[in-house]
Amino acid sequence: MYTKQTELKNVSGLHARPASEFVALAKTFESAVTVLRLDDPEAKPANAKSIIKILAQGIGVGTPIEISADGPDEETAVEKLIELVDSKFGED
Amino acid sequence: MQKKGEQMRILKGNPVSPGLALAKIYIYKAFKADVHESYFPAGQEEEHFLKFKDALVVAEKELDEIVASMSVESPDKAKIFIAHTEILLDEEIEDGVREMIYENHAMPDYAVDEVFSEFAKLLEQAKDPLIAARAADLRDVRNRVLRILKGEKENNLANLRENCVVVAHDLLPSDTATMDRQRVMGIITEVGGATSHTAILARGYKIPALLGVSDATEILKNGDNVILDALKGTVLIEPDKNTIEVYRQKLVEYIKEERETSEYLDKIPLVASGERFSVGLNIGGTEPEEGFKYVDFVGLFRTEFLYMGSEYMPTEEEQFEAYKKVLANAMGNPVTLRTLDIGGDKTLRYMALPKEDNPFLGNRALRLCLQHLDMFKTQLRAALRASAFGNLQIMFPMVGTMDDIRAANKIVAEVKSELHAEGIAFDERIKIGIMIEIPSIAMIADQAVKEVDFGSVGTNDLTQYLHAVDRMNPAITNYYHSMSPAMFRVLGKVFKEFNKAGKEISVCGELAGDHLGALVMFGLGLRKFSMNSSNIARVKRTLSLFTLEETENIAKKVQELSTQAEVIEFVKGEVEKKN
Repeated sequence: MYTKQTELKNVSGLHARPASEFVALAKTFESAVTVLRLDDPEAKPANAKSIIKILAQGIGVGTPIEISADGPDEETAVEKLIELVDSKFGED
Repeated sequence: MQKKGEQMRILKGNPVSPGLALAKIYIYKAFKADVHESYFPAGQEEEHFLKFKDALVVAEKELDEIVASMSVESPDKAKIFIAHTEILLDEEIEDGVREMIYENHAMPDYAVDEVFSEFAKLLEQAKDPLIAARAADLRDVRNRVLRILKGEKENNLANLRENCVVVAHDLLPSDTATMDRQRVMGIITEVGGATSHTAILARGYKIPALLGVSDATEILKNGDNVILDALKGTVLIEPDKNTIEVYRQKLVEYIKEERETSEYLDKIPLVASGERFSVGLNIGGTEPEEGFKYVDFVGLFRTEFLYMGSEYMPTEEEQFEAYKKVLANAMGNPVTLRTLDIGGDKTLRYMALPKEDNPFLGNRALRLCLQHLDMFKTQLRAALRASAFGNLQIMFPMVGTMDDIRAANKIVAEVKSELHAEGIAFDERIKIGIMIEIPSIAMIADQAVKEVDFGSVGTNDLTQYLHAVDRMNPAITNYYHSMSPAMFRVLGKVFKEFNKAGKEISVCGELAGDHLGALVMFGLGLRKFSMNSSNIARVKRTLSLFTLEETENIAKKVQELSTQAEVIEFVKGEVEKKN
C-alpha cells in the first residue's frame, strides 16, 4: 500500500474533463486505487477507476485528498495521479 | 380538440416559426423503461449476465456511432455522448449488476435499473448542483441499456423514412442536433414558448413550428395526416379533400410570397424616402453562415457556445481562435462580441453555481463575470487579442447601473495594460459597449451613453424585466408583451439619447427581426437592426414600403395606444395597406 496527499488546485475541481482524465489514468494501473477526501471525517475511500464514484465525491477546488494504491504498480500509480492533479489538468 | 364536421379535428398552439406543412405525423417519444422486480431460477446466472454484457457491447457501439457522426459537425455535442460511454463502462456499475445477477438472481433489466438508480441517487445527493445534474446522464445511459435488453431500436430523428411533422413533448438540444432537417416539415411540441430552444432552432431552419399544444403526443397518432398552419396556429387532423385543396393553394401562395420577400435578401436596405438603415446578423457559433453576405455588421455574437458545449473552462487560446474565425467570416464588417451571459436559464457543467429562486434576477452574466475575474479576464484577453485581426467590439450583458459599466471598463483597462506590458497586439481603439436590457439602465441612457462607445438593446430581456414576466414560464406567455406601448416608450427614449450623443445604438433582440417591430423602431430613430438570417429579407422588404415620415407617424401613434393588441392590430393594418 502506497499513499500520498495533495490538494485540488484547478478551478473546476475533480469534475467533468479533469475527472475523466483522472479516472482514465487510474484505469491504466493494475493496482487498486482509491481517493479519500480529507476534509470530511465521514468520507470513505472511493474507487478511482469509477467515474461515478469520483464524481459523487464532489471534490472541488481547495479540497485536500489522499490517493492510495495497493498492488504491483502502487507507487507509480500514486505518483502519476498526484502529478496529474498538481498539473491543474492544464487549466489556466 | 372537439370534433368538427365529420372527422377533421383541430388543435391549437403558439406559432413560433411561420409556415405551412401538409404531412404525416411522426410521434417522437423517448424510450420509457417499464421495469418490475423479477428473478430467475438458480442455475441461469451466467446466461443472464451474458445478456447484460451483450447489451453493454451494443450500447457502446451505438454511442461510438453517434460520436463518430457528430465529431465533425458538432464536436461539442459529441462530448455528451463520450461522457455517456464513460458511465456505461464504469466498473462499479458492472460489479453491481454482476452481484445482483449472481447473488440475488435478479433479472438483468431489474438489476440494471436498480444499480443505475442507486448510483443516480448517489450523484443527486452531491452538494454541487452540477454533479447532481449528471444523474440525468446516468438515467439516459440506463434507458439505453434497458432499451437494448428489450430488443428495441434506438429512436431518434436522424433517420426519418419520409417527410413528416414531428410531434414531441419537448425537443432537447441533443434531439435537434441529430435531426434530419430535410425530412422534418414541421414541429409540434407540448411545451415551450417563442424564445425556447426549439423555437429559435425552428426559425433558424425555417421549419414551421407550433409549440405549447397540450397533449399533442396523446391526441395525435403516428401516420395521421395533418395540416400544420403555423401562420394561424392550428393543426388540422385528417383534413377532408376540400380543406387539403384550399391549403395546397395557400401553400403555393405562401411560397410565392416567401420568394418575393427573399428577393429583398441582398438588396441595400432603404426606406421608400431613401434613408439608409443597417441590417446585422445575430450569431452563436463559428460556422460561416449564408447570412453574412446580406448584412452590414454582426450585432450580436453570443459566446456561450464555447462555454456550454465544453466539459471544461475554454482556454484563452481556444477562445482566441474562435473569435478570429468569426472575424474572418464577417469579412471586415464590425462584429459585436457579447461577453459570457450565463446564469438564469444557462449553466455550465464544470462551474458550480448555486440554485437560485429567481435566476433571471440573480447572479448572471456581467454580475457573475465580475465575481469570477479569472474567467472574465481570460475572455477579455482572447477578445482583445482577436481584435488585431478584424473589426471587433466588446459588449457587456446585464448592465443595470453606472457602477456595472465602471467596474467592467476598469477590468478592460487592466487587461489592456497587461497586454501592453507583454507586448501583445490588439486594436487600441476597440469600442466597448453595453447591452440595454435592464430598465434601470434604459432610464438613465443619457448618463450611460457618456461612458460607453455604443449600446445594443436586448428586447427579449428588456420585455421580461420591464413587464416582470419570466420568459421561461409557459403559464404567463400571455403577459410577455414585446410590442407594448410601454416597450416603445422606453425604446424611444434610449434611441433618442444615443442619437443625440452621436453614439451607435442598435437592437439585437427578437424585436429587430420582427418586421412590425422594426418598422416602429425605425420611426423611433433606430437605424441598426441585428437579427437571425431568416428575418433579413422580410425586414428589408417591409421597411422599403414606408417613407421616413410615415414611420415616424406610426411610432408616434403606437406610443399613444394603450395595449399590445392595439399596437399589433394598428401596425399590421398599416403594412397590409401597402401590400
